[in-house]
Amino acid sequence: MTEQLEGQLAELLGERLEATGPVAIENMDRISVGWSHETWLFDAKWNGADGEQELGLCLRRDPGNALLRETSDLDEQFQVLKCLEATDVPAPKAYWLEPDALGGPSLIMDRVPGECPSPWRRSGREFYAAAADRGVLPESFTDSLAAIHTADWRGVGLDFLGVPEEGTAFSLGEIAKWKKLILDSAHPGHPILADLIGWLEANAPVTNQLTLVHGAFRTGNVLIEDDRVSAVLDWELQVIGDPMYDVAYMLTELNREGTDLLSNVVPRDLFFDRYQSSTGIEIDEDKCRYFQLLYAMRSAAFWMSAAGLYADGSNTDLRLARTEWSVTVALERAATELGY
Amino acid sequence: MSVDPGELLQRISATLKADIGPEVGNEFAKTQTFMASVVLDKVSKQLTLGPAHAAAELADTSSLVEALGPVLKDASGPVATALTTLRAEQTVAALGPLVEALYAAPSEQRQAALEQIRPVLRRDIDRRMEIAQ
Repeated sequence: MTEQLEGQLAELLGERLEATGPVAIENMDRISVGWSHETWLFDAKWNGADGEQELGLCLRRDPGNALLRETSDLDEQFQVLKCLEATDVPAPKAYWLEPDALGGPSLIMDRVPGECPSPWRRSGREFYAAAADRGVLPESFTDSLAAIHTADWRGVGLDFLGVPEEGTAFSLGEIAKWKKLILDSAHPGHPILADLIGWLEANAPVTNQLTLVHGAFRTGNVLIEDDRVSAVLDWELQVIGDPMYDVAYMLTELNREGTDLLSNVVPRDLFFDRYQSSTGIEIDEDKCRYFQLLYAMRSAAFWMSAAGLYADGSNTDLRLARTEWSVTVALERAATELGY
Repeated sequence: MSVDPGELLQRISATLKADIGPEVGNEFAKTQTFMASVVLDKVSKQLTLGPAHAAAELADTSSLVEALGPVLKDASGPVATALTTLRAEQTVAALGPLVEALYAAPSEQRQAALEQIRPVLRRDIDRRMEIAQ
């Protein structure tokens, strides 16, 4: 598969880069990040009008059988990255969107320098704990979320994502989105999920202010270089919506392990002070608790969809097979949050 | 001498994790190897704990059907239909339609019924967590 893809990339980039000779594709490496698309890192080397050139690139490819492909396609990701270029949000520069030249819809973007330690591994948590002690990354991480929430989303054209009406439309829209994923998964589910959805629909909060919302802002979804966020990644779940949706994701215990540091890296007081002063947005902890329950529903929906993809044989990634039991973990969390 | 299927899967899982995975160089393949180990571990627990869990589920739902009788004696429409199904099937899965129907029912009826149902769901998810963790 790798050799075939290298050949396709060399041919495609020969046209896109206006190379005077063949384009060499080197250091091709598929990495295990994200769920919805294959991710490959590689270097392209070629001779052009300015002589010998080299570019580090990242390819995201839709294999046609991946998680969440209906809720966030690569075309949308490409448009979002293009819009973000006019904002202060650190994000990879998107170069090309290819519908079929690479064996499936593909997005080629800049390979931003930095590392992305997994917060689910001990080595990753040690990395974030050490960075927290040095003090720079917690501020940079908070500033990145603030940049997302203060971006002029209408001005840069992100309203193409859809703008919810006033009132409870944002919350109810998210519930409807994840309900559809659950129904499409054909997973048998569990009565706790019915209880959770019923409670969420009956208690949907009003959204007072709309911002760009990343939808999965946590360590593991950002690149870090020299203790600063060099790029926010995983633009798969973004919406125009309630900023507390992202803040709830920062505050949730689900995104930290064995530490009080938010997302494994930010002291809570620092986050509250810096985020509120940077954005002018007051953190509503009651609303965050609601959204944490909505995340339990979303997690269950993800895992049900993922388990279904493995169960029906359309995807052989063993990470998806494991998610059958992740549904249980998400529902146990929901039961606890619902008070039983 | 034969090995119990649950024990067999447990041993294979441990071998994948301790002996094979560390020798795999490619990052993607290494992750897949680790995940194979995790999945086998879960299936092993499922095989081992399955009979006891099924018995506990039946005991819980049988008691719940008795407890819900007086609470939902005036129920009609979807709640009554779901209750009939629960009586017939006596499974936790049959509680899903009942809970859904309760959210469209009068709030007093919903609250009273959920107070009976939620402890059963708690015990069920706790049993499932013995496998999932």
